[in-house]
Amino acid sequence: MISQRDIRLTVNGVSYEGSAEPRMTLVDFLRHELGLVGTHVGCEHGVCGACTILMDGKAVRSCIMLAAQADGADLMTVEGLAKDAELHPIQQAFMEERGLQCGFCTPGFMMSIHELLQTTTDPSDEEIRDALGGAICRCTGYESILKSVRNAAAKLRAST
Amino acid sequence: MKPAPFEYYAPTSVAETVALLEQHGPEAKLLAGGQSLVPLLNMRLARPTVVVDVGRVAGLDYVREEDGALAIGAMTSQRTIERSELVEQRLPLLRAATRLVGHPQIRNRGTVGGSIAHADPAAEYPAVALALDAQMRVAGPGGERVIEAADFFVTYLTTALEPSDVLTEVRMPLLPGGAGWSIVEIARRHGDFALAGAVVTLSVDSGSIKDPRVVLFGVGATPIRVREAEERLAGESPSEALFTEAGKLVSEVIDEPLSDIHATAEFRRHLAGVMAQRGLAEAAGRVA
Amino acid sequence: MGGFEFPKSIDDLPVTNPKWVGRPVKRVEDPQLITGRAEFIDNVELPGMLHCAILHSPHPHARIKSIDMSRAAAMPGVVTTLTGEDAERWTRKSYTTPEGWGTYVLATDKVRFVGEPVAAVAATSRYIAEDALELIDVEYELLDPIVDAFAAAQPDSPKVFDEHENNIMYQRKFTWGEVDEAFAQAGHTYTEKFRWHRVGANPLETFGVISEWDLVEDTLTCRGSFQTPSYMAMGRAATFRLPSNKVRFIGQPHGGSFGGKGGGRGTDITAMLSRKAGGRPVKWIEDRIEYLTAGGSQAWDRHYEVSIAVKNDGTVTALRVKLLDDLGATAEGFGATGAVKPMASFTGCYAIPAAEYDLTLVATNKLPASPYRGMGPPPHNFVLEQMMDIAARDLGIDPAEIRRRNFIPPDQFPYIIPSGNEYDSGEYEAALDKVLEMSGYEELRNEQEEARAQGRLIGVGVVSTIEPGVFDWNAYTVIGTRGIGIPEGVNVSIDTMGKITARVGFALEGQGQYTVVTQLLADYFCVELEDVRVVMADNLSAPPNFGPGGSRLGVAITGAVLGAAQRLTEKLVKVAAKLFEVQPEDVELLDGELRVKSVPESKISVRNVVGIMLNRSDMLPPDVDPSPEATFAWTAPGRVEPDEQGRVKSYLTAANACHLVMVEVDPDTGMVEILKYYIADDCGTRLNPANVDGMIQGALAQGVGAALLEEYVYDENAQPLTASFMDYLLPTIHEVPMPEKASLVTPSPFTPLGAKGAGESAIHTTPAAIMCAINDALLPLKVRATEVPASPNRVWKLIQDAQQQ
Repeated sequence: MISQRDIRLTVNGVSYEGSAEPRMTLVDFLRHELGLVGTHVGCEHGVCGACTILMDGKAVRSCIMLAAQADGADLMTVEGLAKDAELHPIQQAFMEERGLQCGFCTPGFMMSIHELLQTTTDPSDEEIRDALGGAICRCTGYESILKSVRNAAAKLRAST
Repeated sequence: MKPAPFEYYAPTSVAETVALLEQHGPEAKLLAGGQSLVPLLNMRLARPTVVVDVGRVAGLDYVREEDGALAIGAMTSQRTIERSELVEQRLPLLRAATRLVGHPQIRNRGTVGGSIAHADPAAEYPAVALALDAQMRVAGPGGERVIEAADFFVTYLTTALEPSDVLTEVRMPLLPGGAGWSIVEIARRHGDFALAGAVVTLSVDSGSIKDPRVVLFGVGATPIRVREAEERLAGESPSEALFTEAGKLVSEVIDEPLSDIHATAEFRRHLAGVMAQRGLAEAAGRVA
Repeated sequence: MGGFEFPKSIDDLPVTNPKWVGRPVKRVEDPQLITGRAEFIDNVELPGMLHCAILHSPHPHARIKSIDMSRAAAMPGVVTTLTGEDAERWTRKSYTTPEGWGTYVLATDKVRFVGEPVAAVAATSRYIAEDALELIDVEYELLDPIVDAFAAAQPDSPKVFDEHENNIMYQRKFTWGEVDEAFAQAGHTYTEKFRWHRVGANPLETFGVISEWDLVEDTLTCRGSFQTPSYMAMGRAATFRLPSNKVRFIGQPHGGSFGGKGGGRGTDITAMLSRKAGGRPVKWIEDRIEYLTAGGSQAWDRHYEVSIAVKNDGTVTALRVKLLDDLGATAEGFGATGAVKPMASFTGCYAIPAAEYDLTLVATNKLPASPYRGMGPPPHNFVLEQMMDIAARDLGIDPAEIRRRNFIPPDQFPYIIPSGNEYDSGEYEAALDKVLEMSGYEELRNEQEEARAQGRLIGVGVVSTIEPGVFDWNAYTVIGTRGIGIPEGVNVSIDTMGKITARVGFALEGQGQYTVVTQLLADYFCVELEDVRVVMADNLSAPPNFGPGGSRLGVAITGAVLGAAQRLTEKLVKVAAKLFEVQPEDVELLDGELRVKSVPESKISVRNVVGIMLNRSDMLPPDVDPSPEATFAWTAPGRVEPDEQGRVKSYLTAANACHLVMVEVDPDTGMVEILKYYIADDCGTRLNPANVDGMIQGALAQGVGAALLEEYVYDENAQPLTASFMDYLLPTIHEVPMPEKASLVTPSPFTPLGAKGAGESAIHTTPAAIMCAINDALLPLKVRATEVPASPNRVWKLIQDAQQQ
């Protein structure tokens, strides 16, 4: 029998302790052990980007990480964007610009955008494409997502 | 799909890592950033009984200039390379190659050592390593040793690393002052593995080409250095006609390329020449 | 319908200044989605829930000699297992159309495609369930795979189904008008062969389901990502021979479908596992590999031979289309209907008087074909539009001009096309002119000339297409579907605080239809959007409904909402009439108030009338019950059975789009780059223009994928080679152009508010336009791309062959 591993990590500022088999992927741990189901699974082979979260501030694909690899890390997921009823500017921008249709890929997109806008406050369209090229949206055709990023960047610039 | 079960170890030193690999033999698999291995685990195409995660081994995350080379710790993330001022100033070829690796989310986790040890023939880093005559510093049961890039890439996903070896550092020699360089590739989509690509470096001395290097990736079972083309170029005056001729030569001399659903062997053979030609033109344009 | 008069336009709504309908209001669906709170099926955990994993066949064609489940069943954590024996005992064979080409949901006699479910387990976790699959021992006797559609159609081919005479699932030639005569008399005839490879939906969320079989009450409850929950429920009742009111289906919000969500097999397998596990809920989440190789992922595997007859002036007088469509191993997935749907817009935007459709559907050892957005016309439009360009080139007519000369003129509507469908309205020339103007067409052609002079391969495609809207079963009668009309219902109620609730039978899927319902009710009763809430009702609580599909729901739900609102208003009017001591016909609803028409100051708010209904029985008229709610189901008017040549008024609306695209082909690499893209789209009244724009852009992306990237590949042994997103290439933000778009509005005379079906949208046009542009670029080389997708390898090979000639 393979022994379980203890895993301690912080998600959205809250500390969690749990245990998982070594083979458990990080996204399964977040969703099914911690109940943070806002992060979605689209392919389980690291191509679609739906499972993207922030790990120590960097956008990573949680379907191709083991939970054990994230032991001790500081994570952020879509659940960490809004503060109570107040939506994050990225979320507001997605609503205003119709950056989503079915909404399944959206949490992953928003986390990649979060990383981008932390480092690049006024991204060019090329920089936006670069940051989002590894994420697939099957509904929108990306135009409204591009607009959402521009809108979110402007909102964030205005608020600082 | 979900991975098959395995035991997991997270050593904190190179010595401990080597010892674990020795203890578990070929059933053990080293896990670096996991961007290639974990998808294979998820699909149950890779089925190690033991996974040794080197993510917590200290001291393998650095880029520094030493003796005319960049010494890069094997666990340095591709994102670190992409953002390193030192890399940008001293070895812009490496930065350009990094920008072609997957996407930012992959580069945040993917490591230099992981990519080189995985040795995907369509990957950029192995080709850059071969073009630059990089040296791989390896820790094994018998101590440390260095493997030259020319000896490192054996065949598809296979290197000269022994089952208990750990790649600890990659030394990428700097290009001589004024040298031109290029990395070009063609992929179905931005960020996909290349159908074919080329890394080219060259200098121009008194109007003639000196030390040309032409390395292909995505074409054969390993990155391929095309010596026939290099010999044809050396000593010649750079020109569009020469590069076209060299490209044609590349297409003629290489072994039968890979064939898959995205490109037949015939098409890859052709693309290899086109990439070499375009790489040469771009590299020549960068000669200072 | 039922004496109802639907408002013809937004101005006819009972509100002086409509605030919501026709405007790009924010979506009511979004808050739960952007916060990650939407209850996608894999977010649902039920007490005692088990997890299913399915063993899929590794062979395309093999007889099953034995299955030994004993090692898997004995594994700790495994609760129960399932094989074809269970399916044979408890279910009927599954097929849609044509009838009889089906199997049990788990293979019994033999496997017919790689990925066919062979066995399943239910365990305490998905990880353990997958481990258990490795302990199932299946002995196969390999049979020759049938993979080539032409070979499969030969009488001496090995058979996919031993009980059928051959592999021909369906064969019929439809002739509409004097086709032979038109070809005999034509000044010019052109013939070309085309190949459209398999593509498919790939919603970002795969299919998922949780089934619970209550053994005591013998009821089945399924929660899942169902595109059409009520329809799925009826199917399961038939499959399991259960009374239909014992089957309850709850649709969860889901991550897209595009027709290709699939799910029948997974639902039945989990239902049976639950039955064997004492009624514990069993969850199955299809993984991406399963979706790509064994799910609802693949559509349109087509071999075409097409001819047109053309007069000297470019007038097209007849169209002949011969289609061999490879439907794969069974007819379970509605793939066959995709080959029939082109009859709803067979001759496109053109007044072509005669046409012929020679249709053969063949079974092979590939994955059964499923629907995909557009449901069949996108490949048909591709071949038709290539033929228009071929004729234009030969006759020296500009591609835009030959289309203009053949358009159905605006004064001819409603217009019945040779294949029988009726187009409601259209302004095709205006859309073309708009695109030509936006793009600066002449200047583009000049740029192209200059580029050609420099040896560059630049091409322009300009294409006009029809999107048939508001699907009806009668479109598919010829292939065996039953019924005419598809009711879509809604129940609308107003509570004592004046708040409005609408109950619909479909879940969130992405199109924004809950927003449309909200807009309509908010304007109808003159309230704020926040005062309206739309909720999903399960199949046992919802009015008759189908859900999204066939560019239908926007129009259908509009009719349902307006009908229910009108019915509800009739009740309110009666109560107000009694109050004001006038006759009901003297009272009207306007701006959220019931008023006496001749005495405008005699008025009462809707909320107060509802309050009277619910709280003052003494004030109720005798013929009004205290129930401020109404239900209405809408279905398209005037639908009948097809005639002997399959001609029928099927799809109620005909939206039109004109796309212009400029591409550059790299002769050294075969890569195609989209340089410019323009769209003029006319789908009648836009109930929510932002919704429509999202449909256009999203469908454009799928069209780009189909034209350049996406393809399901099988090797010569029928092994699928595109089992991951590494090999099935979906377009990313780098590959999709951001076009300049214009909208035209030619309202439908047949629908409430004049809206037309608009959900499938640009995928009808984009592949055709891109392929026309590529062929325009290749024109100097005298080669033609006839295979979709135009991959770099294919394009390069064409150029190579040209240069070697």
